[in-house]
Amino acid sequence: MDMLATNPAVHPTSTAKQAAFSPYADHGGTNLAIAGADYCILASDTRQSSGYNINTRFAPKTFKLSDKSVLATAGCQPDCNMVVTRVKHSMKGYKYTHNKEMSTPAIAQMLSIMLYQKRFFPYYDFNILGGLDEEGKGCVFCYDAVGSYERVPCNAYGSASALIQPFLDNQVRNKNQQGKEKVTEFDPVARLSIDEAMRIVKDAFTSATERDIYTGDFLQIFIVTSAGVEEQLHPLKRD
Amino acid sequence: MFLTRSDYDRGVNTFSPEGRLFQVEYAIEAIKLGSTAIGIETSEGVVLAVEKRVTSSLLVADSIEKILEIDTHLGCAMSGLTADSRTLIDHARVEAQNHHFTYNERIPVESVTQAVCDLALRFGEGAEGEKSIMSRPFGVALLIAGCDERGPQLYHTDPSGTYVRYKAKAIGAGSEGAQTELQEEYFQTMTLNDGFKLALKVLKQVMEEKLNVSNIQVAAVTSQDGYHILSEEKLQSIVEQL
Amino acid sequence: MISDIVAQYTTPEASLGFGSEALPSQRGFLSGDVAHQFNSLAFDLPRTQDPVDFLHTYTDVKSAEDNLIKLAHGTTTLAFKYASGVVVATDSRATQGSVISSQSVKKVIEINPYLLGTMAGGAADCAFWERELGRRCRLYELRNKERISVAAASKLLANMVYSYKGMGLSMGTMISGWDKTGPNLFYVDNDGLRLKGDLFSVGSGATYAYGVLDSGYNHELSKADAIELGKRSIYHATHRDAYSGGSVRVFHINESGWEFISLTDVDDLHWEYTDQARAP
Repeated sequence: MDMLATNPAVHPTSTAKQAAFSPYADHGGTNLAIAGADYCILASDTRQSSGYNINTRFAPKTFKLSDKSVLATAGCQPDCNMVVTRVKHSMKGYKYTHNKEMSTPAIAQMLSIMLYQKRFFPYYDFNILGGLDEEGKGCVFCYDAVGSYERVPCNAYGSASALIQPFLDNQVRNKNQQGKEKVTEFDPVARLSIDEAMRIVKDAFTSATERDIYTGDFLQIFIVTSAGVEEQLHPLKRD
Repeated sequence: MFLTRSDYDRGVNTFSPEGRLFQVEYAIEAIKLGSTAIGIETSEGVVLAVEKRVTSSLLVADSIEKILEIDTHLGCAMSGLTADSRTLIDHARVEAQNHHFTYNERIPVESVTQAVCDLALRFGEGAEGEKSIMSRPFGVALLIAGCDERGPQLYHTDPSGTYVRYKAKAIGAGSEGAQTELQEEYFQTMTLNDGFKLALKVLKQVMEEKLNVSNIQVAAVTSQDGYHILSEEKLQSIVEQL
Repeated sequence: MISDIVAQYTTPEASLGFGSEALPSQRGFLSGDVAHQFNSLAFDLPRTQDPVDFLHTYTDVKSAEDNLIKLAHGTTTLAFKYASGVVVATDSRATQGSVISSQSVKKVIEINPYLLGTMAGGAADCAFWERELGRRCRLYELRNKERISVAAASKLLANMVYSYKGMGLSMGTMISGWDKTGPNLFYVDNDGLRLKGDLFSVGSGATYAYGVLDSGYNHELSKADAIELGKRSIYHATHRDAYSGGSVRVFHINESGWEFISLTDVDDLHWEYTDQARAP
């Protein structure tokens, strides 16, 4: 128990201000998702770092949950891992109870509640859930750490999100582009073909790798269509 | 059966040497004392119809409720000790709401039926980690009707916690005659209105009193309108078609 | 002691002990009961003597401090009662620290077809507790065969969050709807405060919204004017408050329940109002 005590009196080496219990670390990395009319693309780099140190060049943080859904996690790796494990476990239980696969929107709601149950001890994990909804439309749900979520046409989370998100707003949502149809919440899917979306995804990551120290090494792409989930791996710069 | 009554019918959780749980079997018998309830599954939706035993002219017929809503897409008719159904139906309602809360979708009909049946054997001393909720088996059978992505469905549950899906099922005092009649008259391509007519026709045959709009209750669960109790005018028009 | 309150309403992880096989965050997870782990209102707690202090250290509960876990925050919301109903209007910006995390947040929460809640403060807190409120209102309706009143619904919510008072929830919401007594509006916040009123605005942009709202408010407004007043008040708040922006979302409530009115980008409103001012 000593190592967890916050009372400095029982912790001789700690100064008064030091927080003895420090369960979080940021492991960097970036995730991105785009929902199209009949597809969904999720992409993430595979670099994992602690501070300036690169722990590994290949630590996937995006996982296939079913033929229709993929979960991308960013933040503290152990927390991310636990979230993925719990979601998969719950999906299995759901399948045995209800004799059907959990739909992506159902996973979305469940994940929100799962995160909120840790409201007073949050998972340091920013999730993007992507896939196809019951109608076969692409869908992307993005979360804050304690379960607030929203269905969006595209999203970027992680260390390079501030670099990528404005680019996506412009290219996918058509924000501030005169003469182009804006993508609104009433139909939150990109007006892009799957090839156009793939180009945007790759450009976003090669550019982010140039400007973010926590992003690089490999780019993992998950393409969800009615045919299932296709996984691709592309090299990124390793500097 | 009552002739072979033995010492083994005293405890709610004691098997007889032949491998029977008499108290559960007696509970199933209790259903046969209840008023008749009928459920019919059609391609357009499920029909639930029950007789109300209006035993006195002073009795307010509206206060007898034998068909209840579980959720917008789920209804339930009962026969037997209807007071026992309160626990079951409240449990079903809570399960339906919990499912919607967690998954933002309506609970499948089979799942809510399973949830009700999970309670059925929670009597006696209570298993480890689970509180027993009753000192005896429930004395009520339910017809659970609902519509989900698998279409309209009708399930029958009994006090043993067994549930079976039926195309048409009758429970209660008149169930034997009614079930035979349903078996003869049921056909695959029935419309909802055919279902109403068949339900009332069968009820009319097995009811001791003369059937009228105030001594029956009819509900339907359809994909479009969900669960709804039929108004007296609608009932009147069906009675006139008989 | 806050830890007593904590112990009363949650399952403290520390009580599992280190010898226990179950890991803290796996309570109800390894026990095999998958389906029911989400149904109870039990929250995991960090194994520290003061969980509230922990939360303050690592999350930005109230302000835009530069903490590790930035939670999404909501901002300008308003609702007012008038002769023929209730108008509810909100902006749509969410900020995590100084980053705009979303410009398309739904800060009007549809609790059920005749009750609306609004979102200000922690987005997850509002969304979760108003979802929980929706579950309870629906069960009330099934058990009592009539809808819950707005007064009762708002009290349910106030009592729920009151039991977590002091633990760092952040919620400022307006519960509005139509019941047997007509249009109703209540303000409920994370301290358990619950107020009945005709007109409220909540969030960092509320002061700006109040200015416009109070100057234009009249109980006898027409529906069109009332909706326009709500829209204009939110627009002015987004103009002066950096934490508000995006689009203006408007809902209207009358005796048949709520109705979605409009979602307008504040940029479009800006030019609309500028042109009106210029017109002779």
